[in-house]
Amino acid sequence: MSKPLEQNFVELLEQHQNIVHKVCRLYTNNYDAHNDLFQEITIQLWKAFPKFRGDSKFSTWMYRVGLNTAITLYRKSKRTINTQQFDTVQFKISAEEYDSTEEEQLKLLYKAVHQLNDIEKALVFLYLEDKNYREISETMGITEVNARVKMNRVKTKLRTILNP
Amino acid sequence: MDELELLKKDWVKSDDKFEKKSASQIYPMLLKKSSSIVKTLFYISIAELVFILFCNFIPFFVSEDYKNQFNETYNNGTFHYIILGLSYVVIVIFIYLLYKSYKTISVVDSTKQLMKNILKTRKIIKYYVVYNLFMIVVMAPYYTYLSLKTKRTEFDVSALSTIELSKFIGVVTLLTLITVGIVYAFYSLIYGILLKRLNRNYKELKKIEI
Repeated sequence: MSKPLEQNFVELLEQHQNIVHKVCRLYTNNYDAHNDLFQEITIQLWKAFPKFRGDSKFSTWMYRVGLNTAITLYRKSKRTINTQQFDTVQFKISAEEYDSTEEEQLKLLYKAVHQLNDIEKALVFLYLEDKNYREISETMGITEVNARVKMNRVKTKLRTILNP
Repeated sequence: MDELELLKKDWVKSDDKFEKKSASQIYPMLLKKSSSIVKTLFYISIAELVFILFCNFIPFFVSEDYKNQFNETYNNGTFHYIILGLSYVVIVIFIYLLYKSYKTISVVDSTKQLMKNILKTRKIIKYYVVYNLFMIVVMAPYYTYLSLKTKRTEFDVSALSTIELSKFIGVVTLLTLITVGIVYAFYSLIYGILLKRLNRNYKELKKIEI
C-alpha cells in the first residue's frame, strides 16, 4: 500500500487509538492480551482502510472493525495465561484522583462487566460510548427494539452480579 | 444511580489513562501477520484441498509401479474416468465457491453478517470434505474389488458367489465407514474447537432476535 495512505492511516489511528484501547479493555484481562488484541485490531483496520470511503466518521468505522475483531475474528493468544492484573499495568492512576470508595465500586463494576458474554460486552461498550440504539443495532446487525430489550436485560444481569 | 451511568462517568474520564501508542510503535504493527480466525480457516481449506489433490493424483505421477498397476486395473474403465472427471469438476466448483465466499467476508459488515459469512464459508469447506468422505465410502468396495481382481492373489474375488461377494462388499464398506467416521470425528473436533467462540456468539445474537 502507498506511503501517503499509510501515513494518513497511522495519523488517524494515533489520534483515535482510545477506541481500540477501550475495546481491548473490555475483552482482555491482562497487559499482554491487551497488546495482542490491539495489534490484531490495527491489522484489521489497516487491511480495511483502502475501502474506507470517508462517508462515515473514522471513529464510527473503528467501532465496527474493533468490535468485530474482538468478538469474531480474534483468536485468544496463548499469552493470556499471564495473570498480571490489567488495571495496575495499563492505567496510570494518579494519587490525587484516587477515591477509594468510588474506585472500589468501579472495580466491582468492571469485574461484573467482565463476567458478561461477548455480545453483552459489545452492547455495554457501545452504550458507554454514548451510541444511540440505531447505531447499536446497525453495528450488531440486530433490530433497534431488540437492542433496547437486550440492553435492559444486560443492566438487570449486571445488577444481579453485583447484588447476588 | 444506574450502575452503567457510574461506569460511563469513569469510562469518559479513562481516555487519558491508556498508554498511548506512538506512530513509531504503530508502523511495525502494520507489517505483522494477522492471526484471525478467517486466515486460519483459509489455510485449513487450502491444506485440505492440497491434501486431497495429493492423495488423488500425486502417486499416479511419481510412482511408475503405481502408474502401471493403475493402468492395468482401470484399463478402459469408463466408470472410473467418469468419477475422475466428476472430481475435477467438483474441485473447480469448490475453489470457485470458496473464493466467492471468502470475498464476502468483510470486517466492516455488521457483527451478525460477518459471523454469518464466516460460518457460510466454513460450511462450504465442510461440504467438500463430506463429499470426499462419501465418495471414499461409496468407491472403496468397488476399487478394492477391482484391485484384488487384477492382482490375482490367493484370494480370488472373481470366483466369489453372489452372497460371498455381498459379504465382501459389506465388510469393506463397514471398515471404510469406521475409518471415515474416525476421520470425520477428528475433523469436527478441530473445527469445533476453532469455531467454538464464534458459534456461541452467533447463537447469542440469534437468540436476541427471537
